[in-house]
Amino acid sequence: MLELESVTKRFGGLTAVKDVSLRAQAGEILGIIGPNGAGKTTLFNVISGFYAPDGGHVRLDGRDISGLAPHHVCGLGLTRTFQLVKPFGNLSVLDNVMIGALTRLRAVGAAREEARRVIATCRLEAFADSRARSLPIGLRKRLEVARALATRPRLLLLDEVMSGLNATELVEMIGILRRLHADGLGLIVIEHIMAAMMRLAQRIVVLHHGEKIAEGRPDEISRDPRVVDAYLGEEFVLADA
Amino acid sequence: MRHDLPAIVLFGAAALTPLVIRDGFLLDGLVLILLWGAVSGAWNVAGGYAGQVSLGHSAFFGLGAYSAALLATRFHRSPWLGLLVGALLATVAGLIIGYLSNRLKGPYFGLATIAFSQVLLIVASRWRGFTSGSEGIPVPFRPGFWTLGFSSKVPWVYLILALAVGIYLVARYLETSRPGYQLAGVREDEDAAEALGIPCRRLKVAAIAASAALTSVCGGLWAQYVGFVDPFYVFSVDLSIRFALNSIIGGIGTAVGPFVGSLLITSLETYLRATFSDFKAGLIGIYLIIYGCLLIVVVRFVPQGLVGWLGERLRAVGRYARA
Repeated sequence: MLELESVTKRFGGLTAVKDVSLRAQAGEILGIIGPNGAGKTTLFNVISGFYAPDGGHVRLDGRDISGLAPHHVCGLGLTRTFQLVKPFGNLSVLDNVMIGALTRLRAVGAAREEARRVIATCRLEAFADSRARSLPIGLRKRLEVARALATRPRLLLLDEVMSGLNATELVEMIGILRRLHADGLGLIVIEHIMAAMMRLAQRIVVLHHGEKIAEGRPDEISRDPRVVDAYLGEEFVLADA
Repeated sequence: MRHDLPAIVLFGAAALTPLVIRDGFLLDGLVLILLWGAVSGAWNVAGGYAGQVSLGHSAFFGLGAYSAALLATRFHRSPWLGLLVGALLATVAGLIIGYLSNRLKGPYFGLATIAFSQVLLIVASRWRGFTSGSEGIPVPFRPGFWTLGFSSKVPWVYLILALAVGIYLVARYLETSRPGYQLAGVREDEDAAEALGIPCRRLKVAAIAASAALTSVCGGLWAQYVGFVDPFYVFSVDLSIRFALNSIIGGIGTAVGPFVGSLLITSLETYLRATFSDFKAGLIGIYLIIYGCLLIVVVRFVPQGLVGWLGERLRAVGRYARA
């Protein structure tokens, strides 16, 4: 359903994303990995409308969405989360999620109901009335997912929602994402935690210096010599996956 | 309903005051408390709810004052029509400044709004043929409701009270409605709001335009009440800051906050002006010093404003009482 065709994004002399093409099928979990600075988040920013690409096209269900404003892209069913979470800090968790739900629903009451359902899906019931800024990082990551889900996306872009989680939270998050996938939601996941990625993703795209260097099933990726080279000297070891 | 209790007490007390008090000076004070509270409430729509802290709202206030005054003097129309024309002009002005300053945040937005109000000041004080320039315009007193001329203060109390309640209700709408919640998202984090499907720019511009229109109506009524429009007063930065300060001291982004701030500031100012008049007139500026000190204390110790602070205290007492 999502198709990137030779997408390029430059910042002055730096080409952050170079000629990247990829496809994500409806309901698929696609992983995007790569060392720091590989251009993963920039790619998300281009897909979700925060940056207009300098070259190439982003298509959603065949429609060219390159350069559309993020709120417009969200309206078409594609939403993202932020690596550095951006909760509405002074509002309650419920209000945070409800603001997401109001994108599809006109009535505040209906949106609040919807928000409660989404909060339950993400196991945040106990914190519904807490101020978002009072949550620890693990729960803020989950709030980030809940809020995006409330906009009823068909494709959700998750930017490192598993980093910074402890072991229990990580298991919970993977459980939540698996359930969403089972319900038919498409996910594109940027992650640094290789073990989680290997378990979750059906297909993985590897970025390095802004270019796509490999694409394939997790087991193929972990054996790919170019990928191993790219990660050489990095803190994570693929063999652990 | 429970949420509206402070406002019901406040506005209820204002409504009952003319039944008990006949003194013109005190009723004048009441009208001004309600009026400055109402303008600050109008400012709060942009400054508090949309997070667009404007320091140039006197631009819209002045537009309203001049529209009402000029329609009455130059075109012999009803000041009610002047209010409408002023609101339309301010809406257009709000849309323009909102659109132009869309990428400006925080202090830069504030500076842009100051510049805008100063441009209007220059126009109003130099365009002698139309606005009478720096001499200002006396607003003719013609008795009657349609001409907004009342020899007693009492009708003014109820008229301005109606305005205040209207602006309060606009704020309450912003606390409970879809656009209000979306605006809260924009205020808290614009990128996140965009990603969640909220058209941030459109909402911000709309909030500024609505705030401008309400401010203009206040300006028009003020001109009718006071009977004289002086460009150096209605377009002044002092006035813009007063609008912002009433909200900041009372509680920015709360519906009743601007009125609480105005109650405190306006009565203090009126009292000090009255106390330090005639032979101690040299001390008249002392209210500015007290004003400044009060602001420092509030921003330092109760940055959420008096309403938020009192709310927290009351909840704490409630918990203590239950325990």
